[in-house]
Amino acid sequence: MPQPAAVQSPTLDELRAEALEWGRKPRARGSWYVTEHMVRAMRAYGWTIIVGAFGQPVLYLLGLAVGLAAIIDVPVVDGGQEVPYLVFVAPALLMTSAIAVASEEFTYPVMAGFKWRRYFYGFNASPLSSGQIANGVVLGAAARMAVTVVLYFGFIVLFFAWLQPDAIRPATAWISVVIGLVAGLSFGIPLMAYAASIEDDKGQFALVQRFIFMPMFLFSGTFYPLATLPLWLQSIGWISPLWHATELGRIVTYGKEAAPGMIAVHVGYLLLLTLGGLIVARRLFERRLAK
Amino acid sequence: MTMGTATRSGGVRSLWAGNPQAVVQRGLVAARSSSWVVVLSGFFEPVFYLASMGLGLGVLIGDVQTSGGIEVPYAAFIAPALLAVSAMNGAIYDSTWNVFFKLHYGRLYEGMLATSLGPLDVALGEILYALLRGALYATGFMVVMQLLGLNLAWTALLALPAVLLIAFGFASVGMAVTSYMKTFQHMDWINFVLLPMFLFSATLYPITIYPEWVQGVIMAFPLWHGVELVRGLTTGYLSAAMLWHILYFVVMIAAGLVFTTKRLRALFLD
Repeated sequence: MPQPAAVQSPTLDELRAEALEWGRKPRARGSWYVTEHMVRAMRAYGWTIIVGAFGQPVLYLLGLAVGLAAIIDVPVVDGGQEVPYLVFVAPALLMTSAIAVASEEFTYPVMAGFKWRRYFYGFNASPLSSGQIANGVVLGAAARMAVTVVLYFGFIVLFFAWLQPDAIRPATAWISVVIGLVAGLSFGIPLMAYAASIEDDKGQFALVQRFIFMPMFLFSGTFYPLATLPLWLQSIGWISPLWHATELGRIVTYGKEAAPGMIAVHVGYLLLLTLGGLIVARRLFERRLAK
Repeated sequence: MTMGTATRSGGVRSLWAGNPQAVVQRGLVAARSSSWVVVLSGFFEPVFYLASMGLGLGVLIGDVQTSGGIEVPYAAFIAPALLAVSAMNGAIYDSTWNVFFKLHYGRLYEGMLATSLGPLDVALGEILYALLRGALYATGFMVVMQLLGLNLAWTALLALPAVLLIAFGFASVGMAVTSYMKTFQHMDWINFVLLPMFLFSATLYPITIYPEWVQGVIMAFPLWHGVELVRGLTTGYLSAAMLWHILYFVVMIAAGLVFTTKRLRALFLD
């Protein structure tokens, strides 16, 4: 069909330039766009996040820690150092809260993005890259984790200011917020990679919850020093990011003695899981979105 | 409806066809195509807890006094509580997550109610199916307790029916509550109820450490009754107070069933 003479149709180069122009901004800030989406989607359950972030520390510290502390009269001996039971448990519970958020945000939302609601394919049809989509999921979950960990930490500070004023070291204790964030990511990002690899939901996440999260929580020296357990059960702690994060948390919160080499091992292990997980996850996102 | 079929209008006839076993059967058939590993995994949760708390905390704590006034090893103290908790969790899980999915995504109940089944058949059928699973887990856990020497008296055998009673109570109330849920995230609220119950109901330590008024609040919640009932049976300390625990669950079951049936009718039939 002949073009009406008056309209000058743009050349291919002009079209391409225009398309690139529109794509430039999303291409540069793509991860944040996805983050925004993920965070906005959380508003659907915003109240549960807030109440959970407030309620869990209150419940766990009052229910478990205070209750158990009442029947454990003697202080816990942790690495040769005597610590009141509550002080011993608090850092572990903080790390657990971050990892619990991770186990929620890096599973079903990822599955929903690929399979149920397919919004990742929507993102992918725009100038966003697959890697940016993966980044955005991570950052979105990290935002929620930050809320949880900061609130948890704030509660611990108030709680101890009331109960045991000199128990924690304010100069370094705040670092446990950062450790909590890294702990959540070191568990969550490999989990995201796994979630990205799942084609059909056959209850895999329930199994992760039962056979990975639960044993990790219970056998990572959360409620008593890891050394209390028989050696073969201690090995669960060694491979669990929760144990490494908790040890770091104890070092910064009440000054648990630790060799520099061990600190390096704890930090290194958490970073290895986080970065290794991210590399694998990004590759899996790329492959699946290209299908 | 004219020819030959029983007209079911109003009253109990529209709610109850006397055929909940059809719903149970459907559950069993459907279970065949689901992953058995997931089904089996429910058994491990209390076992992990028992291993972790019993081994680790048991070292720190030693013996604990039960409400019956007898001293028992820490593991024997928490094992019956974990049994009651897992009955609660299993029943709630089955009657909330499963039911929510079938209600909103599978649209299973609409199909069922289009047959001769009434809402009470559906409610009871779903709950009975959940109890089958609960019985399986409880039996497994009781075997573990026996092997570890944590059943201190022959009355522990009675813990099994007690656990089913507890599960029945939670399942019937859980299903009623689920019928109000609109999104998956609403389900988180269930955890906000279950978690404090788990933490405070004399599960991991005696409630005598609390001030009187806190104890009173705890005693109002069902899990405490469940824990006390099962612990009394496994440690062999029996008392007349146990009848109150049983009555508590009987009332809970009745109230839950009435409520669930009404809700299912309001959702699908009215």
